Formats: sequence, structure tokens, C-alpha cells
Amino acid sequence: MNLLKNPRLNGVLLDVTGVLKDGGTAIHGSVEAVRKLREAGLKIRLVTNETQVTRRALAENLLDLGYPVQELDIVSPCPALISFLQRENLRPHLLVHSNVLPEFEGIDQSNPNCVVLGDAAENFTYEHLNEAFGILINMKKPRLFSLGRGRYYSDKEGLMLDVGAFTAALEYAADVKAEIIGKPQPEFFRSTLKDMGVEPEEAVMVGDDVVSDVGGAQDCGLTGVLVRTGKYRPSDEKHPTVHPDAVVDDLAHAANLILESRK
Amino acid sequence: MASRKVPIKAVLIDLSGTLHVENTAIPGAVDSLKKLRGTGIPIKFVTNTTKESRRCLFERLIGLGLELRKDEIWSSLWAAQDLLRSRNLKPMLMVDDAALEDFSGLTDYGEEEQNAVVIGLAPSMFNFSQLSKAFRLLLTGAGVPLIAIHCGRYYKRCDGLALGPGPFVRALEYASGCHSEVVGKPSPTFFRSALGDVDPAYAVMIGDDVKDDIGGAQAMGMRGFLVQTGKYRTGDESRISPGPAAVCPSFSEAVDILLKEYAQSEGDS
Repeated sequence: MNLLKNPRLNGVLLDVTGVLKDGGTAIHGSVEAVRKLREAGLKIRLVTNETQVTRRALAENLLDLGYPVQELDIVSPCPALISFLQRENLRPHLLVHSNVLPEFEGIDQSNPNCVVLGDAAENFTYEHLNEAFGILINMKKPRLFSLGRGRYYSDKEGLMLDVGAFTAALEYAADVKAEIIGKPQPEFFRSTLKDMGVEPEEAVMVGDDVVSDVGGAQDCGLTGVLVRTGKYRPSDEKHPTVHPDAVVDDLAHAANLILESRK
Repeated sequence: MASRKVPIKAVLIDLSGTLHVENTAIPGAVDSLKKLRGTGIPIKFVTNTTKESRRCLFERLIGLGLELRKDEIWSSLWAAQDLLRSRNLKPMLMVDDAALEDFSGLTDYGEEEQNAVVIGLAPSMFNFSQLSKAFRLLLTGAGVPLIAIHCGRYYKRCDGLALGPGPFVRALEYASGCHSEVVGKPSPTFFRSALGDVDPAYAVMIGDDVKDDIGGAQAMGMRGFLVQTGKYRTGDESRISPGPAAVCPSFSEAVDILLKEYAQSEGDS
């Protein structure tokens, strides 16, 4: 039985962390799966909320792991945010990972009029959070941008808090609602599809985050597939509001399902 | 003011902003407390502190000339250790070092044994690595409670405002999907544990925080007397509905009302 049954399927959106790789290693069978999808002529984008590294560094890392991908295949929140900041004349105070600071080099950061939170990891210290809070609380109309709003991800130490947790902290402290750039924001999926030249009903998203990947994609009309790798937990399959179109063991299985569905 | 004929069986009194501001007693507070003591009505001093142990609070208040016993102090920290002991929990404690003495016997559980997360105010632990550790503990199984000393958004530090425990409680709630148990004001559990057997209808709360002191106490059936000292700002009394049972310029006037009611109820009986 094929749960997806969609002969029009033409575009595949893949989450990176927890689907292609876990920490520094490729997830078993995923490299081969991407290759098969490519060979079948499907359009592929790697849609990630990854903000610990630049797109270039991520592309290099994936190439090293054997993935046939390049920088342009990767859709991440930073470029989207940067063009937004430029359009709106915003000068950010950044609380992000030091690895992504180069992406913001051309952006005026003096006298900030908004705060940007990314997955800052070790940079999430009390003093850094206080600093961001101090800026928000002293603004007449505070603006807080969050690069994704993930709850947690899996790292070599185990599950770690993602940016969404710290966004929730600052939202509560400064009584402000964050503006999200990245998954599950609909605009993020839509602009990716537009760039691919694919309609929502022709596309499938494969991810390990039931809310951000699967729910976000489904809300935009895409098919959403949950994999049991990465940060997946059995309780995800009983999520009160998100019901994946399919739940599979890993990307290898997802790829088979996708290729089958087009026959 | 219309006086009531309900006998008063307990008075809860907030500390900071009501009896003192930092190291100075509110004018008249020392004498008024003495007068209130004359009635013999049981008193509890209730405070949301994340830092100071019971002994530390006690010594400060004695130093200001206030008359009290250590066991009359019911702080959010004290309520937390009370809750941990009564439920036999082995906590991961994210509290200030100065507060640890209230948790004696509860501080040394290894990571494998811990089955509760307690959030006080611990700037040195409010970071990515420690918070992630707390998060993983919350996920280990059903029934690992997230206990918040209180949910204050921020507090005043000498160099400006600084994040309180609340934001970090929210962070862990968001990531784990669990709901915290708040042990400090305005949680009904806090007032109930401070009151012991006393019916809230016979109890009065005096404080300067219209939401946490007055709103919290009134929501569980007590009467709340708002004092216009400490953090009080003009118009605070209209920020809750129904409004405070009484609004008094300071602690002394609040005590005067209680003494009048007391005399009346004594006269009636």
C-alpha cells in the first residue's frame, strides 16, 4: 500500500539535521536516497532551520558526507532574514551562533532597533539573554525575530534546546510576540516552492520535526512525511493536531515511498 | 469604611515593599506589627524570594526591629522545599547558592536519581548546557514535575532590569510541552499552605503587589489589603476586578482596620 499515491509528485523538500545527518555523520541510507531521488528527476531543496553554520559551510559538510548537493540547494532562514532586514531598514542586535556572524557582515548593527535570535547554542548565556531583553524592554515597539522556532534538536550530547525555547523566554519577559523566519512559517515554504517552480500539491516535505516540518508543510498544502530518525520520539505519532501523511523509519524508506507514488 | 463581623483568624503579610524597602523599615511598620501581635491573631510573613533562605530573611527582619519567629516566614523557597519533601522528590535545583540552605538534604542527588526540576534564580545555571540538561530530565518520563519558585518576568538589579525565573520556566515549558507548578504567590497552593487549617474567608493578606498579593489572595477567598508603598503605582487598585477589599496608605493603616474589626468582633462575642 502506498500512503502517498500522488503521480504529480515533482518536488522534494528535505530537512537536514535528523534526516540527512545526525551530528557529524550521515544517517544510514540517506546519501543513497538523495541520489535516487535526484536520478529520478525530482527537484530537491534542503529546507533547514539550521542557523549554527552558514549555508556554504553546511553544503561543504554535506558534500564531505557524500551528498550530491550544492549551496544553492539549501534554503535556510538567514538569507531570508537578511533581505527582510534590508527591505525594512532594520538594524539588528544579534544573538546568534558565532559561526553565522559572517552572513551579517554587510548589515548595520549600530543602535539596534530589533533583536534577532538564532540557534546560538553556547552563546545562550544569562548575560547574553539579559542584553537582548534589555534592548527589547527599552524599545517603544519591541521587534523580535526568531530564526525558526524549533523546540529541540538532537546533538552528540543528546537533545538540546533549540532557539524556540529562548524565543519563548524573551517573548514572556518583554511581553512581545516574535516574528518567525523559517519553518513552519508559510511564507518560507511558499517562496521555496516558487523558486523550484513546483505547486504545493506536487511537493512533499520529509522531516523529523512533527510540528515544524510536517505540520508546517501540510498547512501550505504539501504532503508531510515524518521520519523516525533524529529527534523523533514515539509520542510524535500521537500528536494532538498534526497527522503526518506517512511515518517511515528513515529517508531511505521515504524515498522509496516517493518513487513508488509516482508510478 | 464598613466593618465586617467576620472574626479574623490569620493575617498574611508581604515583606519587601510592605514592611520594608531594602534595609529600611516602612515608617510605622515596627510599631504596628507590635500592636497587631497584641491581638494574638496568627501571622505569617509571605514572600516570593528566589534568593534568600528563611534564616537570611529572618535575620534581616530582626535587624530592622521587627518582631517575629523564624517559623512564621513562609517564602516561595520554603514552600518549594516543603513540596519536594512532602512528595519525596529528588530535584535538579536551579536556585541561587544563597538559597540552598533551605534545601538541606535535597541538594546532592546524582543526575540518574533526579526526578524533578526546580527553577529559582540561578544566573550561573541559566545557560544552554544546563537548561538543555533540565529539559532532558523533563523528557525522561511522565511525572517529572517542573517546579517554579515563581514566574516573575524580571527584577531590578543595580545595573538595570534582569531576567527573572519566569522566562526560563517558559523556555522549558515550550520545549518540553509540560506545564509548570508555580509554588510562590499568586498560586493558590502557596496561600493555602501558608494558611494551614484556617479557612481563607477568615484571613487577610496585606501587600503592595496588586496582582500577586491581592489578586492572588482574593482569588482563593481571602480579603486583600493593598498598601500604597513599595512597588505600588497610582491606579494599581483598578488593575484587578473585584478590587482590593481595602486600599491603605501604608501597613499601619491596614493594621488599624484590622484592630477595629478585631475590637468589634470581640465586643460582639
